[in-house]
Amino acid sequence: MPEPTPNRRALLRGLTGLGLAALAGPALAACGRADATPVTSGRVDLRLWTHDPGYIATFETAVTDDTLVGDSAYRFGLNVTSAAPPDIVTRMITQAVADGNTPDLAGVVIDQFPRVMGSGIAEHLFTDLTETVAPFDGELLKLAPYSVAGKPYGLDSDNSISVLYYREDLFAEHRVPESVATWEELAEHGERLARDHDISLGMVATGDNGSVVNGFLQLLLQRGGAAFDATGELALESDEALEVLEFMAAGVRSGYLIALPDPYGSACAAALKSGRLAATVMPNWYNAYGLQANVPEQAGRWRMRTLPRFAGGGHLASTMGGTGFTVLKDKANSQAALELLTRVYLTREGQLLRYHSGGFLPTLSGLYQDPELLAVEDAYLGGQRVFDVYAPAAADLPTFYQAPGMQILTDVLGGPVLDALKGRTSPDAALEAGVRAYRQQVKR
Amino acid sequence: MTAPTVRRAGPPATEPRQSWWSRHQRSLAPYVFISPFYLLYVLFLLVPILVGVYLSCTEWAGLGTPRWVGLRNYRDLLTDNSFWTSVGNTAFYVAFTLAVVVPAALFIAQALNSRGLRGRDVFRLAYFMPVVISPIVITLVFGLFFDNEFGLINGTLQALFGFGGIDWLGDPAWARITVVILVLWRWTGYLTIFFLAGLQNVPRELHEAAAIDGAGPIRRFFDVTLPSLRPVTAFVAVTVLVSTAQIFDEPFLLTQGGPGESTLSVAMFIYRAGFQRQQLGYAAAAGVLLFLVVFALGYLTNRITGVGRESR
Repeated sequence: MPEPTPNRRALLRGLTGLGLAALAGPALAACGRADATPVTSGRVDLRLWTHDPGYIATFETAVTDDTLVGDSAYRFGLNVTSAAPPDIVTRMITQAVADGNTPDLAGVVIDQFPRVMGSGIAEHLFTDLTETVAPFDGELLKLAPYSVAGKPYGLDSDNSISVLYYREDLFAEHRVPESVATWEELAEHGERLARDHDISLGMVATGDNGSVVNGFLQLLLQRGGAAFDATGELALESDEALEVLEFMAAGVRSGYLIALPDPYGSACAAALKSGRLAATVMPNWYNAYGLQANVPEQAGRWRMRTLPRFAGGGHLASTMGGTGFTVLKDKANSQAALELLTRVYLTREGQLLRYHSGGFLPTLSGLYQDPELLAVEDAYLGGQRVFDVYAPAAADLPTFYQAPGMQILTDVLGGPVLDALKGRTSPDAALEAGVRAYRQQVKR
Repeated sequence: MTAPTVRRAGPPATEPRQSWWSRHQRSLAPYVFISPFYLLYVLFLLVPILVGVYLSCTEWAGLGTPRWVGLRNYRDLLTDNSFWTSVGNTAFYVAFTLAVVVPAALFIAQALNSRGLRGRDVFRLAYFMPVVISPIVITLVFGLFFDNEFGLINGTLQALFGFGGIDWLGDPAWARITVVILVLWRWTGYLTIFFLAGLQNVPRELHEAAAIDGAGPIRRFFDVTLPSLRPVTAFVAVTVLVSTAQIFDEPFLLTQGGPGESTLSVAMFIYRAGFQRQQLGYAAAAGVLLFLVVFALGYLTNRITGVGRESR
């Protein structure tokens, strides 16, 4: 009886088995951990991942600055990888799964942090900074967005204080007082300017959901509202949220607020260049990335001030954006990375270096009274002493809490908020729709 | 002279035992030669698909052990309004592409193939150019063209017709149309190349014979050109169907799925679930459904149009 030869089906089965076996090797290897004997002194090359050249410049300057790292047991070097903000988180997680080369220090943009807030990802990936920040109790601002279950996992690079940028020349020409006290008062002037001169005193974003929701949250935080409370519960069903959305919708209707796809793109540049946009609420970084980038020829015409208050109450300032630096845990270089981060982010010298190298506002509240910073003058803003504005704003900054469902909220709230801004639905119906959709999706 | 010696046949000598490989070498050799393909096929296609199917039945954020949830992700998908919005949008994109982009490509190819056309290469270059331009540049330019306040389109409409207040990117209906205009602009030229190649293979004698029989240009187009192009048209239709069902670039770059979710495609939905919300199991379930639908539609179209079969 002839011995049966393997048929095609059997052979394919065999090959499939081979393939699976080939995959099983790396997969099983991934279950192990890399050697994590901590480096405690000497030369250490830290792997730094970030999206922003400003942070690269900051850390590269820091590791060569003797006043900052001269007395350290480490001789720091940097191995920098630059990537888009979402890619940093995605690759960090995939590398962690594969036990590959995760960074030692990673800059996580604030709107990407919610991705690691759920399922214990932050706890597994990052070093708990509770002990590191303990000596700065009450002085360190903006820890909340990078905290999970009360434990901080990232230090923000920038306080991202929202101020009102305005064209001093146009305000003078059209008799808009620079010291206007409330939003409602500014809105009256805005309506007049829109009607008579086609000039707007603010903008709302109508493009992607992120821009739409961020613009809304910026004013909502100032008004005293929030997207989430400290426990991560949704806090949008509030009078403050309704009031702010009604205010914004009325502003678009009257022309006081101009609708633009986003605050950075070509349409916004056109609005700024043409003088149709004479004021806007944006964080400190908008000076460099928005105004100076789009309208350098308007240097000297712009000024900034603290935000007008809402008549109904709230804060003097708001905040939008930021990047939290995290230290990957249980790695050979974790200790060294934490030391470098501490030296650059939690010392006066480090915070001054960050401001001078990238314009990043201090996150230690005491530094807003530092003589060196108080003396800073901004040439683009006509030589204005900017910390005269930032100091009172930093003293009354709302706390921004995030939750794992932040991305979902952004996705489901963007459409209804935009509909309200465009007058396609009422503000209360928009908020109700957004909250309902959020609850339906987050339940999953 | 010696008589030849005759060797007597004794009991058969024991033959040396052949190895398993020697016995099966001839039948196995072809498989060994083609095994690199199957190995790579299994490693990079079959295994990822199977892993994807497994993940679709789990809840996994990317770290830790996936938790088995059975068919819950599929059940949730069927009740997820966002998913159905993305399905509706994708169906709109597919229908538009098949109904407008493919015929437009055919007509442009017909025009480029006509006798006596001067500057043919310039036209070809112009139509093909959008395919090779960076999507980022396209996005910036289209964003400026279609801006509500400062856009070129609204400015032109205002100058010519006295109206121009269309909110191309901010109104849900117009945003969908803007996306398909981008699809039309970007891919028509590429598909034109296929039709042009097909047209150049249509025997000229057929046209001459039809002309002698009294057929005009339109009749010749429908009775000679179109039937001759059937294999090319079928190929284009299947590939366009499959690729448009997975459309991602255009809505992602132009509107990021907005306003709201009005331009969200299924591929974007999957990306959003997987890489913005860390719902990898849920994203995998949507991916499996997309795969099944695209596979079924592709197969059906394939059967109907007869791609790959010899023309009779």
